[in-house]
Amino acid sequence: MDRLPRLAVCALLVLAACAGSVLLARGSRKPFSSNAPRYRTLGPADAKVTVVEFSDFECPACRVAEAPLRALLKLYDGKIRLVFKHFPLENMHRWARGGAIAAECAGRQGKFWEYHHALYDHQEEWPSGKYEERLAAYAKEAALDEAAWQACRKDPAVNEAVSADHHDGTNAWVGSTPTFFINGKRFVGALQLSERGTPFVDKELKK
Amino acid sequence: MKARIPPSVGLAARVLVGAVLVYAGATKAAGPSEEFAIVIGSYDILPREMVLTAATFLPWVELLIGWSLIFGLRLRAAAAAAGALLAFFLIALVLVQLKGIQLPNCGCLGDAVHFTPLQACLFDTCLSALCWLSWKSAPARLSLDSWVEGGYTEHANGQE
Repeated sequence: MDRLPRLAVCALLVLAACAGSVLLARGSRKPFSSNAPRYRTLGPADAKVTVVEFSDFECPACRVAEAPLRALLKLYDGKIRLVFKHFPLENMHRWARGGAIAAECAGRQGKFWEYHHALYDHQEEWPSGKYEERLAAYAKEAALDEAAWQACRKDPAVNEAVSADHHDGTNAWVGSTPTFFINGKRFVGALQLSERGTPFVDKELKK
Repeated sequence: MKARIPPSVGLAARVLVGAVLVYAGATKAAGPSEEFAIVIGSYDILPREMVLTAATFLPWVELLIGWSLIFGLRLRAAAAAAGALLAFFLIALVLVQLKGIQLPNCGCLGDAVHFTPLQACLFDTCLSALCWLSWKSAPARLSLDSWVEGGYTEHANGQE
């Protein structure tokens, strides 16, 4: 064989190795569910555009992303649906799962979004030694039935619901929060959402 | 006087650097480029509109160079490219330190391994030294270059 065909064979071998190693690293992609209880959704169920948010109440970047997300929802009011999924990053955020459980229990009394806003708006105060006291104060502000809310927080099923969301996030290769999927297209963080989210939603609505 | 690199040392050096680059490239290319874009964006070196493009292509560049080193294809060029890539990473790490930016993750080896900036600098320096050994070891007997050129010559490697 001449030099050139040999070189071509080698180049193909290297390219095949590149593709093979990526496929090996990728493994088998698992499907993930974008479903959530109705109290964790906003907007019409038959909306043309669905935003699935994987978020952590203790994560400062998630708090920063709240403003562009709310602006997006306001801009496309009635045309867009938001689905909130819990993704507590417990290796970094000690109180995140507790916050998710508290919000989930508020949701079971129909006050998920009120509690969600309280956790983000006061993010600098509740992930601390005053955790129990602060969470109870937000429950009171949201006019929750406190006894039912406290009982719900001890319910293992609620903890499992948070874990199920986390599992969905892991299957969706969520590595950091917040991660948004707009009709399946991924946007990580406030910057990607604010810079590329709006044009993408526009494009999807025009389809 | 020409420094002589024993073939086994050259082979070990290029396989080691190659394996690191393949691991780094594969873990990043397999994951979502939007995640890696967050890491590249935190360095604040590239213009924002280029960050996602860089996050998409950089892992494939690492893979190509890594496998070329392992197989010994265009060995000198691959070793030089790996050295240039590592020098670029080192400069980026130093610039980040000078700017006082706190990196959540250096982005060196994907999500699996998190280095501090100092550890990342030391790691890159060690790999750069191995790149130099790989470059010096070319042409090598156990390489695709040797097959492409129709055989390995001891003389070409300075082994007489």
